[in-house]
Amino acid sequence: MENVQFLVSLGLILLTFAIYIGIAIYNKARQTSDFYVAGRGIPPAFNGMAIGADWMSAASFIGMAGTVMLLGYDGLAYIMGWTGGYLLLTFLLAPQLRKYGRYTVPEFIGDRYRSHTARVIAAVCTIIISFTYSIGQLSGSGVVIGRLLEVDAKVGTLIGVVLIAFYAAFGGMKGITWTQVAQYIILIIAYLIPVIFMSLQITNNPLPWVSYGQVVSELGEIDRQLGLSEYFAPFENGSKWQFMALMFTLMAGTAGLPHVIVRFYTVSTMKAARWSGAWALLFIGLLYLSAPAYAAFSRFILMRNVVGQPIDELPAWTETWINTNLLQIADHNGDGILQWDELMISNDIVVMATPEIANLGIFVIGLMAAGAMAAALSTAGGLMISISSSFAHDIYYRVLRPNASDKNRLAVGRITIVAATVLAGLIALNPPGVITQIVAWAFALASGTFFPALLLGVWWKRANGPGVISGMLVGLFVTLSYIFAAQSGSFMIAGIQDTGAGVFGAAAAIITIVVVSLRTKAPTQKVQEEVVDLRYPEQMTYKDGDVWMNNK
Amino acid sequence: MKKIDKAMADAYSREKNKYIVIFLSIWLVVSFGVVLFAESLQFQVPVLGFPFHYFMGAQGSILTFIILLFINAKVSDRIDQKYGIDEEANEQLSYGKTADH
Repeated sequence: MENVQFLVSLGLILLTFAIYIGIAIYNKARQTSDFYVAGRGIPPAFNGMAIGADWMSAASFIGMAGTVMLLGYDGLAYIMGWTGGYLLLTFLLAPQLRKYGRYTVPEFIGDRYRSHTARVIAAVCTIIISFTYSIGQLSGSGVVIGRLLEVDAKVGTLIGVVLIAFYAAFGGMKGITWTQVAQYIILIIAYLIPVIFMSLQITNNPLPWVSYGQVVSELGEIDRQLGLSEYFAPFENGSKWQFMALMFTLMAGTAGLPHVIVRFYTVSTMKAARWSGAWALLFIGLLYLSAPAYAAFSRFILMRNVVGQPIDELPAWTETWINTNLLQIADHNGDGILQWDELMISNDIVVMATPEIANLGIFVIGLMAAGAMAAALSTAGGLMISISSSFAHDIYYRVLRPNASDKNRLAVGRITIVAATVLAGLIALNPPGVITQIVAWAFALASGTFFPALLLGVWWKRANGPGVISGMLVGLFVTLSYIFAAQSGSFMIAGIQDTGAGVFGAAAAIITIVVVSLRTKAPTQKVQEEVVDLRYPEQMTYKDGDVWMNNK
Repeated sequence: MKKIDKAMADAYSREKNKYIVIFLSIWLVVSFGVVLFAESLQFQVPVLGFPFHYFMGAQGSILTFIILLFINAKVSDRIDQKYGIDEEANEQLSYGKTADH
């Protein structure tokens, strides 16, 4: 049985990889513009799927349902935060940045603020944020490969490194865009099948979104009888301000993440950017709407089939997970019966273990493995492109070697990808924190640096170079300091933890940009007109205080 | 290139901005607003069986977000049309703009 499971999982993972690599090779990039932004011809619905795959990382796929299951209502900050940010992005930034028409986010900041210093700071921030984020993805892929192929997690991480370096370096963005469409389809199917089966098992209703509300209420009832706080009771695991700070950090971080924004450069127009944002959230929402259902069903099964059972008669699946140290069972009161608080379950195993717990069969378990790998690899691929474009384009080409040939820049881009992947992989062998925590730090950094710089860059024509340079530096400093201070427990405001640090970073950066800009010279007339111009569609141009219509 | 009447250009951006403000207000109410009053919003949602605050966090807010984005895309298209914007011309213009860089 173990062997059959191994072969099925391996077979499904290899099959899906063959598809991704095949697509990447088929679309092998030949030109620089293809490599970075896919020649700007991806239709909005497909671009939406690619954004979805890029977006849904190992943290969303593997970690989120488990987080909601363990935190109850408080875990919903992740659900709302990681979806609500798309409104800020699509209303306030994406179409405008598309009209400005540059390859990367640091390039927009450098050109809009007419400052090489700002460009370099933005490129360095992009590298820090994307690199932090990718460490989490690589260690996530290590856990999945390690658990399912029954090899050491470190070996699993190394396998992931090789795969990511290969298709990110050779496919470029175009390869990745179409690869990610395939990855989205595989990961969403892999996520939905177990939820639908569990819904049928527990409620006899094939639509989990309709049926799990009753289960949530029933869970509250069970908790009440056990003397626990109700599953849906608000703010049991953190203050209300932590909930809102985390939600804000995740939303603003979403709107400022370079590897997500760059997706909107791959569409043809501002109109296409708006539709891409809408499609992206629809496809992302499918997973985010299902995660709380996943959480409720898993908790229900655990409460009914595991909790309250004699400890020496637990189902067979518990043993494999206890061996990984991610599940711990201890009979504190010595009555031979397992209580809920005697069960220590890591939120990262909930999604991976539930198909086993619910007896869904080897095919579904193998499919979950392939889906989790798709989530980890697709996000890591997008992150690597961001890192490579920041270095090869914004630092190497725009600052160090303005005369570099296309071929030369492409080579530098590829070398950067391989180097960054290997380096991130080495750190991922011994990750500096829990995966979801590392990911939240990346969001906090993005909301403390890019979100204010982009928001004011697009909407406030008076914002200038000195303002944005000091703003990004202050935002970076405040966010990092708060993360470290809250982590060590020495300093906290209103119970806000390290994961909510972005709210302070963003506030500090916005205030700094406004104050410094007002105290220094206003941008030139030309720059200010360029900013106002972003409020009009491509056919309209704002020049000399008037709007001009361009009829082809 | 033809100059557009100043009043008309202003009307265009005012109309666009008005919708952004409306949509972001709804966004704020369904997410932060509901969280702020979560303790007192625990009544049962009919048919689905959730407590309301949980329903909004897990489903209501996300569905609202998705719907708002599609309404925004549709409404913006309509405004563009009203002011005589031709998407094909936009495509040509934005293609040229990136190529000259």
